[in-house]
Amino acid sequence: MAAEFFTMGVRELQAGLKSKQFSAVEIADAALERIGGQDERIHAFLEVTDQAAHQAAQAVDAAIAEGKGADLGPLAGVPVAYKDNMNLEGTHTTCSSNMLADYVSPFTATCVQRTLQAGALPLGKLNMDEFAFGSSTETSAFGPTLNPWDPSRVPGGSSGGSAAAVAAGLATVTLGSDTGGSIRQPGSFCGVVAVKPTYGVVSRYGVVAFGSSLDQVGPFARSVEDAALTLNAIAGHDPLDCTSQAVATDFTANLAEGAAGMRIGIVPAFMQAEGLQPEVKAKITEAAEKLEALGAQLVEVELPNAQAAMSAYYVLGPCEAFSNLSRFDSVRYGFRDPGHKDLGSQYEASRAKGFGPEARRRIMLGSYLLSAGVYDRYYYPAQQVRTLITADYTAAFERCDCILAPTAPRTAFEFGEISDPTSMYLSDMFTISINIAGNGGMSMPVGLGAESGLPIGAQLISPAFKDQNMLRAAAALETVYGPAPIAPAFAPKAGE
Amino acid sequence: MKKLEEVLRDWEAVIGLEVHCELTKLHTKMFCGCKLEFGAEPNTHTCPVCLGMPGALPVPNRAAIENIVLAGLATNCRIEKHTMFYRKGYMYPDMAKNFQTTQGPKAFCMGGWLDLAVDGRGAEERLFWKDLAAGDAVENLTRTADGYSARVGITRIHMEEDAGKMVHIGGGEGRIAGATHSLVDYNRAGTPLIELVTEPDLRTPEEARLFMQKLRSIFLTLGISDCSMEEGSLRADGNVSLRRRGSETLGVKTELKNINSFKNLHDGLAYEICRQAEVLEEGGQIYQETRHWDPSKKCTIVMRVKETADDYRMFPDPDLAPYDLSDEFIESVRAKLPELPDQKAARYERDLGLSSYDARHIADNRFTIDFFEAACEAAGDRARELAKPLANLALNDITAYVNAGDGIDFAATAFTPTRGVQLVVLLAEDAISSKQAKEVFAAVLEEDKDPAAIVEERGMRQVSDTGAIEAVVDQVLADNPDKVQQYRDGKTGLMGFFVGQCMKVMGGQGNPKLINQLLGQKLDS
Repeated sequence: MAAEFFTMGVRELQAGLKSKQFSAVEIADAALERIGGQDERIHAFLEVTDQAAHQAAQAVDAAIAEGKGADLGPLAGVPVAYKDNMNLEGTHTTCSSNMLADYVSPFTATCVQRTLQAGALPLGKLNMDEFAFGSSTETSAFGPTLNPWDPSRVPGGSSGGSAAAVAAGLATVTLGSDTGGSIRQPGSFCGVVAVKPTYGVVSRYGVVAFGSSLDQVGPFARSVEDAALTLNAIAGHDPLDCTSQAVATDFTANLAEGAAGMRIGIVPAFMQAEGLQPEVKAKITEAAEKLEALGAQLVEVELPNAQAAMSAYYVLGPCEAFSNLSRFDSVRYGFRDPGHKDLGSQYEASRAKGFGPEARRRIMLGSYLLSAGVYDRYYYPAQQVRTLITADYTAAFERCDCILAPTAPRTAFEFGEISDPTSMYLSDMFTISINIAGNGGMSMPVGLGAESGLPIGAQLISPAFKDQNMLRAAAALETVYGPAPIAPAFAPKAGE
Repeated sequence: MKKLEEVLRDWEAVIGLEVHCELTKLHTKMFCGCKLEFGAEPNTHTCPVCLGMPGALPVPNRAAIENIVLAGLATNCRIEKHTMFYRKGYMYPDMAKNFQTTQGPKAFCMGGWLDLAVDGRGAEERLFWKDLAAGDAVENLTRTADGYSARVGITRIHMEEDAGKMVHIGGGEGRIAGATHSLVDYNRAGTPLIELVTEPDLRTPEEARLFMQKLRSIFLTLGISDCSMEEGSLRADGNVSLRRRGSETLGVKTELKNINSFKNLHDGLAYEICRQAEVLEEGGQIYQETRHWDPSKKCTIVMRVKETADDYRMFPDPDLAPYDLSDEFIESVRAKLPELPDQKAARYERDLGLSSYDARHIADNRFTIDFFEAACEAAGDRARELAKPLANLALNDITAYVNAGDGIDFAATAFTPTRGVQLVVLLAEDAISSKQAKEVFAAVLEEDKDPAAIVEERGMRQVSDTGAIEAVVDQVLADNPDKVQQYRDGKTGLMGFFVGQCMKVMGGQGNPKLINQLLGQKLDS
């Protein structure tokens, strides 16, 4: 019995808890044991929080014992883990950087806190690209995470640990953050449901910032419903983040409505994009046909300025990152290169050694782009592009309820396969414009590539604050493709 | 070095001020909930936000926005409804995030002004206004009855956060040079700060001093800050350059920092003007630099030479959404505006019949306002009649007493407004002389008794009995026939001698007005 907790979804776990078939402590023990046995195969976890998980489990069990089973939070007894850019008091929050290798959080991020309030069992912190700069977890200072479907391949990134942990059945739900595709692209590579809600749906308080105007937290899960339940728990206005918004939506409300009557937008320019692998294109085309077969209407929509999203992103992202990362100066916390006698050389050496190459690249880029004389030529036009792309989406969503597109142009690549930073940046070619515009996007697994046998995600894109639209379409696809499978090498063996 | 008066004959000084004011009356910091408290144990009022911990986010303090809008409305600024916070980047340990959250090209308050009333000795610093007729205007200056009025433009008032405080130890006097350690106290980090920038409309150190004094008085009236220049909650930086009289081009400016009193602002600028004139007259060059005024050595010292403009990499803060002020909000703040010093002065003139000079100067200081208003209130129906002597009391005796002491809270002394009224009534009724009134004032403060009791105890009652005075006058004139003759021959200056003699005979209690009057009658007859 215990061995199968990791295959269960949120509802199944909670039903078992409420009917006292098993306890939350049993769930926690099993999850921790599984991480202990399996994580070395993929290196998704940077820290495992046994004690916190146990405490939370005991609290859930106590509530059930007191007969308060009906009042359990929406994530009660659910094993959850967090990307390592999310603060959880008393745990390390390293952002996979040497800069913060020894940093212990003095407070808890709102999104993490809300899962805890909902009764989640916190399993630990997950690997990522350093400060979320990357699409493969290869920039992690603590070594990459391996794709559970093929350990020679990357899990995607930057939330690679979050995606891999769910795909390997090491956690029922994980949280990640997405600045240009960092939830959706690893979701696609690892074949799990991965949701980046509209900017402002989830509080960013306590999530170490990369690009403050682009960052958004969202869940990874193996079913649309589990993702929606998690979203319910973490969404909504937070007085500590003045860019967060009040959200009254129950994200599970229309999951069962099906695709019939939905207008699904298809962007021809995306489907004909150079670099889109044929097996990915085939799967997305198939997903569109399935939706049509379910009664949805396919409409072609244009996003004429979307091709400028990448350029705008690589101006705005580094500018914000440069400023956000300037606090890592070796003075109050974080890595300090010892022995310097003046502030300037301590700053320089500590930052040069504490940050990895990609972080340094983005800091340098942002520093240049914001400097006098350069700012006007890049930052302003980038903001103007942002306005145009937002208007494109607004216009497109007058004709459809959500858009179907590829999540990533290809399936998971091999370690070291992409060494040129600008080629790596192309991983996000279909996801970036959504962060630029601020609306919602998610990756929904639609089976395996005919050639590679690797997972492929279809991206569903919602109008701002209509995240329920993409969740509804995703749930419809789920009726065709089934919930996301656990990667075969991690799935329960037959007869076990 | 030449004297200021001399320098300003050939040169015109162009002065602008940057004023920082901490909003000390707020309870919490600008972007977090930490308590604002001066002098607390170091680093006891801090949190992840003001310490710049990873993941922390700012949330603007609405009360601080209300404060800055009050300041803007009180200084005739336009309130901008759509503004943004910006990040101003600089790496230094006193700013934990290594950027300061401030405002961009558009601040909450733009384009205001204040009128300065310049009179007395201070007005002498500005030349070429005395030829104007009252009401005539030239440049930003209008001739008034007793001096001139100068309009000073306010470019903007923006909202920002203060930095933490650095303490360098191991070197001399807390200086960084030679220090072995630098300590940072983040209690002050994130304190809501407003920065006001003036147009370069000031022309004399006195105008700069008056501007600061007026601003302080306004901010105190608004109740947004304790405005302590000593503790640094009100700080002024002065930018000054010189140009030849008649020239329109601006010279190279220097910036004067570390100014912690009105006097230092005046003296520092005056020195800097004279120094620049000397350099220029000797064919030298002024460098754009930051200088420090050392009040003990009475000179300015170079702190930092600015070779290039600092690049702060300013950009809109993505953590803080554009800040929109509604009309309702602005109007609700306007409704909270208290009566401002200029309005008070106008009311004193209009309702109480004070001269413009008295009215203005009463309105200059909190303690004169508080005393004068409470005394007029206590005077009831006689307020208008007693306003002038009460104003004299406030501007002369009380001001001298307060200025002589160190941080005296006059309202807490024994000289209550009611006793003030009693004193001026005694004067008005000729019961005591003005000289005796000064003695009574001092005695009330010392002995905590009513003026009437002191007059009684000391037997100070002024003799206003015409018959008694006339007898004394006759006696004195009879005793000094030669002097009487000299007076009548035209040596009218002897009047003082006769008055003095009469007073002497009367033990100082004769009514000087009556003595003068009777002496005049008898001598001139």
